[in-house]
Amino acid sequence: MTQLVQTLILGLLVGGVYALLASGLTLIFGVMRVINIAHGAFLILAAFLTYSIWTAIELDPLASVVFTTPVMFAFGWILYLATVRRIRGAHMSSSVLLTFAIALVLEGVMGFVWGNTSHSVRPDYFNESYTIGDLFLPKAQVYGFALAAIVLGSLYLILTRTWLGRAIRASAFNPQGAALVGVNVSAVSALTFAIGVGAAGAGGSIVAVLYPFLPGSHYQWIARLLSIVVLGGLGSLPGAAIGALILGIAEAATVTYISPAWATAVPYVVIFVVLLVRPQGLMGTRLREDVAAA
Amino acid sequence: MLRVRWLVAAFMVIALVAAGCGDDGEDSASQDGGGGEPIKIGASLPLTGEFSEPGKAAKEGYEVWQAMVNDAGGLLGRDVELVIKDDASNQNTVVSDYNALISGDKVDLLLGTFSSLLNLPASAVAERNKMLYVEPAGGNPDIFNRGFKTVFFAQQATADHQGDVWANYIAELPEGQRPKTAAYPTLDDPFTTPTSEGIEAILKEAGIETVYRETYTADTTNFDSIANAVKSKKPDLVVAGTQFEDGIGIMRALRKVDFTPEWLYQTNAPSFGDQYADGIGAENTEGVFYAVSHSQEAETPGNPEFVAKYQEMFGGETVPEDAADAYAAGEVLQATVEANKTIERADQLKLADWLRQNEVETILGPLSWNENGSPKGEFLIGQWQSGKAEIVLPEEAATTDAIIEGYKPGG
Repeated sequence: MTQLVQTLILGLLVGGVYALLASGLTLIFGVMRVINIAHGAFLILAAFLTYSIWTAIELDPLASVVFTTPVMFAFGWILYLATVRRIRGAHMSSSVLLTFAIALVLEGVMGFVWGNTSHSVRPDYFNESYTIGDLFLPKAQVYGFALAAIVLGSLYLILTRTWLGRAIRASAFNPQGAALVGVNVSAVSALTFAIGVGAAGAGGSIVAVLYPFLPGSHYQWIARLLSIVVLGGLGSLPGAAIGALILGIAEAATVTYISPAWATAVPYVVIFVVLLVRPQGLMGTRLREDVAAA
Repeated sequence: MLRVRWLVAAFMVIALVAAGCGDDGEDSASQDGGGGEPIKIGASLPLTGEFSEPGKAAKEGYEVWQAMVNDAGGLLGRDVELVIKDDASNQNTVVSDYNALISGDKVDLLLGTFSSLLNLPASAVAERNKMLYVEPAGGNPDIFNRGFKTVFFAQQATADHQGDVWANYIAELPEGQRPKTAAYPTLDDPFTTPTSEGIEAILKEAGIETVYRETYTADTTNFDSIANAVKSKKPDLVVAGTQFEDGIGIMRALRKVDFTPEWLYQTNAPSFGDQYADGIGAENTEGVFYAVSHSQEAETPGNPEFVAKYQEMFGGETVPEDAADAYAAGEVLQATVEANKTIERADQLKLADWLRQNEVETILGPLSWNENGSPKGEFLIGQWQSGKAEIVLPEEAATTDAIIEGYKPGG
């Protein structure tokens, strides 16, 4: 029984972090129909920024989200204007190619700047745990989870309680309709992309504390994040959160009760099952290809 | 739409350029030494991707060897020029790299790449082209049971025997001290798996029961659940069959779940010196055992000079083991070329035959080979003590008299 509860706790803690990591990806898809393959690379870039801040001024890596989030937000905005904007209206496959190219360029740049070696950020608490009876809660995971929850909660409030959020949702739901009622869909898209990349910035700081990373690590992340978004429903923020928690628990349970050899197959199994059983994901809606947005 | 296509095309070009430029791409260099046309020696190394850590070290080792050979007048009186490609830790890329080195760059000689995973396919390319292939890493026994005539491993033993000395030490501990149960979390990798299985065979023989043996894949990032599963089995001893990245991950996870086995042996990662200590925290290294091929303090022929030259060229106090292995591979190649006085392609099988019949003095100690190219020696056993990597076994090679009995993390 302890084993089961422990597995659930570990799964939930890591799932919460996955949720934040996937939130930007699903947001960008929801508004722009852009499948952002570079999302993993944005995460790793933020992790490297966190590493540099930590080594330079010894700021707690989780506190460095106050730097990484705005920096990545600005980076996302510039990147949108320079590249992504130009493929608006093109088929979704163009976005895959473009963002994959961005990921490769970023990987090369990160290797050039930080070197192609493994980096770790180790605050004092990185290998400590809270213990409750026989259970343990790794401190880094707990803090990471809490931070992810705060950022995700803020994102959710922005989306549901502000004019900007309504404009984003309107643009996602029906771009032509949104434009008709005065929403500047183009500006909203830029903002959404920047918010998505900013969320990856916050997520990257958490990843830096939890796992060692190198420039090539982004491939591992993008596969997992895409499966979360597919499971939750492309474009749905609550869907991504639920999908992330399910995936986190499924991975932990697979490691504990089946074999760690199968854990990395879990995201792919999830994609297969979702595509076969419920192609729109848990909380997604079917895309109308017949009246596709321009 | 046309614009979009151009944009995408432009980006792909940028990406390819970025992936191929800087110090990650092809590197060709020669230094002053002997006269005449330089001898081109080709290798592909994992300079990017998950094996980039050892790949970079191996490149440095080759470069030190090149510099020292050229300083001493070259190989057969000619300069040595290295042609090094980046295989991005990818099995397909390493194959095309070695094909390109042989038929495109027309190199005279080859040196191996890093890790069994990449040497398995790369050595097949060399064999097909009847080129001598001395590899600095790649101890998987399967490399040597394919009937190849050209592959030679420039370390002391194959992976399945890497932990023999340590496993025998544990097996021979007095009854009361000897652990009773063992766990073997292992990366699915052609180097780590046979190493871990080799140790398990000896420990099982000594009555140490296996309570956990699981394999995880190379793209595993989250080790907490694995560490938790190991903890739940309460093993006295843990043999972590790891490369570098996952090795750091699993050690950190064991600390997080607050599990300290009485004994801990880990493959590969602990031999990375400061990088290992940085990754898991120096205080958590105390008592970790590992097998290692090279000791910086060893009085083997040429070792002090190699260490000095490495420090001169690349700085830092510690010399990575993989740099030393790469250097030793260069020494082995040099020995057979100088003995046979040829680098002709038609003579490469002759170079291989010479290695089968002779012993070569290297900075790792004397190396000699079986018919199949696998080495005949024994590894050194290292242990982290007070934040420093020491050699503890065998006694004649030890850099300290003390062996810390067990794993004692936390400073």
